[in-house]
Amino acid sequence: MNASPSLEKLLAAAPYSLPQKEKRAILADRTRELTQRHYERCEPYRNLVDRVFGGARALQFARLEDAPFVPVSLFKTRELRSVGPGEVVKTITSSGTSGQAVSRIYLDAGTAQLQSRTLVKIMQHFLGVARRPMVFLDHSAVVRDRQSSSARGAAILGMLPFGRQPFYALREDMTLDLEGLEKYLEGTRGQPPVFFGFTFMVWQYFVEILEKLNRRLSLPGAVLLHSGGWKKLEALQVSPEEFRRRLLAAAGIESVINYYGMAEQVGSVYFENPLHFLHASIYSDVIIRDTNTLEPLPPGRAGLIQLVSALPASYPGHSLLTEDLGVLEGSDNPATGMNGQYFRILGRLPKAELRGCSDTFQKPVPAPA
Amino acid sequence: MTMAADNELQVQLLAPAGGVQSLGEVLALAEATWEPFSASRRQTLAQLSRLILHDAGLRADASSVALGYWLRRANIDRLSQEFERRGAAAPDTVLVPAGRVFHVAPGNVDTVFVYSWALSYLCGNQNVVRVSGQQTEVLSRLLGVLSNLMRDDPELAGGNRFLTYEHDQAISAALSLWSSHRVLWGGDETVALLRALPLSPHASERTFGSKFSYCAISIAAYLGAGTETIDKLAAGFFNDIFWFDQMACSSPHLLVWVGSADQMNPALDRFHQALAKEIERRGYRGTPSSSMHRLNFAFDLACETDLRVDLKQKEFLAVRLPEGAAWRREICGAGLFTHARAGDLSQLAEFGGQRDQTVTHFGFSRAELRELALKAGARGVDRFVPIGEALAFDTTWDGYDLIGDFLRHVTVRVGAS
Repeated sequence: MNASPSLEKLLAAAPYSLPQKEKRAILADRTRELTQRHYERCEPYRNLVDRVFGGARALQFARLEDAPFVPVSLFKTRELRSVGPGEVVKTITSSGTSGQAVSRIYLDAGTAQLQSRTLVKIMQHFLGVARRPMVFLDHSAVVRDRQSSSARGAAILGMLPFGRQPFYALREDMTLDLEGLEKYLEGTRGQPPVFFGFTFMVWQYFVEILEKLNRRLSLPGAVLLHSGGWKKLEALQVSPEEFRRRLLAAAGIESVINYYGMAEQVGSVYFENPLHFLHASIYSDVIIRDTNTLEPLPPGRAGLIQLVSALPASYPGHSLLTEDLGVLEGSDNPATGMNGQYFRILGRLPKAELRGCSDTFQKPVPAPA
Repeated sequence: MTMAADNELQVQLLAPAGGVQSLGEVLALAEATWEPFSASRRQTLAQLSRLILHDAGLRADASSVALGYWLRRANIDRLSQEFERRGAAAPDTVLVPAGRVFHVAPGNVDTVFVYSWALSYLCGNQNVVRVSGQQTEVLSRLLGVLSNLMRDDPELAGGNRFLTYEHDQAISAALSLWSSHRVLWGGDETVALLRALPLSPHASERTFGSKFSYCAISIAAYLGAGTETIDKLAAGFFNDIFWFDQMACSSPHLLVWVGSADQMNPALDRFHQALAKEIERRGYRGTPSSSMHRLNFAFDLACETDLRVDLKQKEFLAVRLPEGAAWRREICGAGLFTHARAGDLSQLAEFGGQRDQTVTHFGFSRAELRELALKAGARGVDRFVPIGEALAFDTTWDGYDLIGDFLRHVTVRVGAS
């Protein structure tokens, strides 16, 4: 795509360096640019701007809050693409958690490259520049078949380039290969590893197993990155604080970092800051909207999370209304050592339960895997 | 059908409350009295009406209150008088009960099973009613009331069974063979699933497929109406769409404004303002999930269909089709409806299709509506009722005479003497 001064500014800066106001102004410029681009190149998106947001004048917004947005579910029902099919180098599919329809995200070389560049910058902020030994709290079969599009496999493949000597700590039956892990840690001694896993799997197949076996690991300097949501742990009444406390007790991991991101906006992920809130980098931002009126809400008020990202140029996913609920917690706080806004997730909006007259005899629906 | 087989089939008996029982046990019903509209059966329904209207939980549910009123003595007596007139109009006919009626209730409107059952009960039948396994508070309470009533009413307890079971064709097949009349509510899927099951060669059947309903409003009449009328229409429209999340068969999804194009904007503005005011007056708040559902639906539609959406609206989302666009029969529910314009009523007649059930209306004369009904003819529309009455139950439903269905017409003629 053509040179973009606003994007260049963002790429030239460190990921948490710009004060919120300054970042927001650059991001608004970039969002206008992307909105215009998708309006010109993606017919369904142009239709939305024309039919829902009042037409071409909607392209001239001043505030980021006034930018058109697209509900994230639309990527499940429509082919939203701003480049020709021949330019697509990768299609990301994601089922989210609802299990049924699949989102399709079309990446061209430029967007894929942008995503990698920004992801590297964010990761390096937390993990340092040197690539560290990487332990996946999963089994290797989820990535063996690279054609399979499981969210777990995709996340691991996305992580691989940031570490070295990958080790899969689970066997295929999900039991912990403790012996293998200890041997691996012995072999990489002196180089603090990065652990990676899905929140619930980290808990069930790592923390609980270590506790049950009454084994304690000592991993000074290690970092655990985890994602996937707290829903299952909430059901077990395990708070994030308890999760971190027991990880420290069982595995000796002091640095536990949760992150939030979606297949629709790979590259601009939200990592947990030192206050344990999710922090927006300069490549993206969060707007919280009233669930009823869709009006933007100030910090402290819960609403729907809208995610704006500077990266998506090959598909109109630069301004997404998610079905997650959240609340803004602060901005430019010296206590975090990072500039920009941070927020907290409160959960996902349940699906609307509309009873059709035909659900008299409901066929049993298999639980999502 | 053999008793041995029926004893292996298990159902959950809900009224009289009996837990899991074999179908054989459940179907051991007492002989009915066989007299349509008997005094004792009318009395039972009047008692049921009182119990519903005195139940604190049901009183809070508008559709249960409507059911309670429909069952009250005055209304049942009215039905009884109609029945007598029906008899008087056919002196060569003796009306007797159809016999054994198997009702399959829909999953979306909790009260429908009571209407269907009550009419059949009045007609003197034995009844087995299969209700949805996903019991809402309203459904549980209605079943509780029926169960209590059965304790002191042997006639009711002896010949009526309210039950549920998971999807099991063997049970549905046994109940179908047991019945002399089968009533299938629950839309296309249920009908397709159950219609394949054979009935006795002597049995009859009534099915209620999935339906589409809409609304027709005269622009001139609407703009000419006084504030009081406009407010009343807003209240009626609110009931028509919000009682069952707009998922009842008779809730409108399309609003056809009949009149001139240049008056469309002021009419819509007035309508939206009045509806917003009514929502405010009632303090109605839908769930955030409903609002997301409407939004997702409207965005998806807008990708491929020329229309206009106003995101500023609260608790409802009105989508507007441009002049000349084809009208659509999509169902979103949860407060999304589509505006379209017609030059005159004949366009509605052309639109009419087999799925069409209820047209709620304002601003047309009886003669205009009768002409429209005739023109739509065999293709569609089962009822034209004023805005606000979409959900009112009637003994004529989807164009069929339910009381006639629950009776058998015996001819008695004597030779000339």
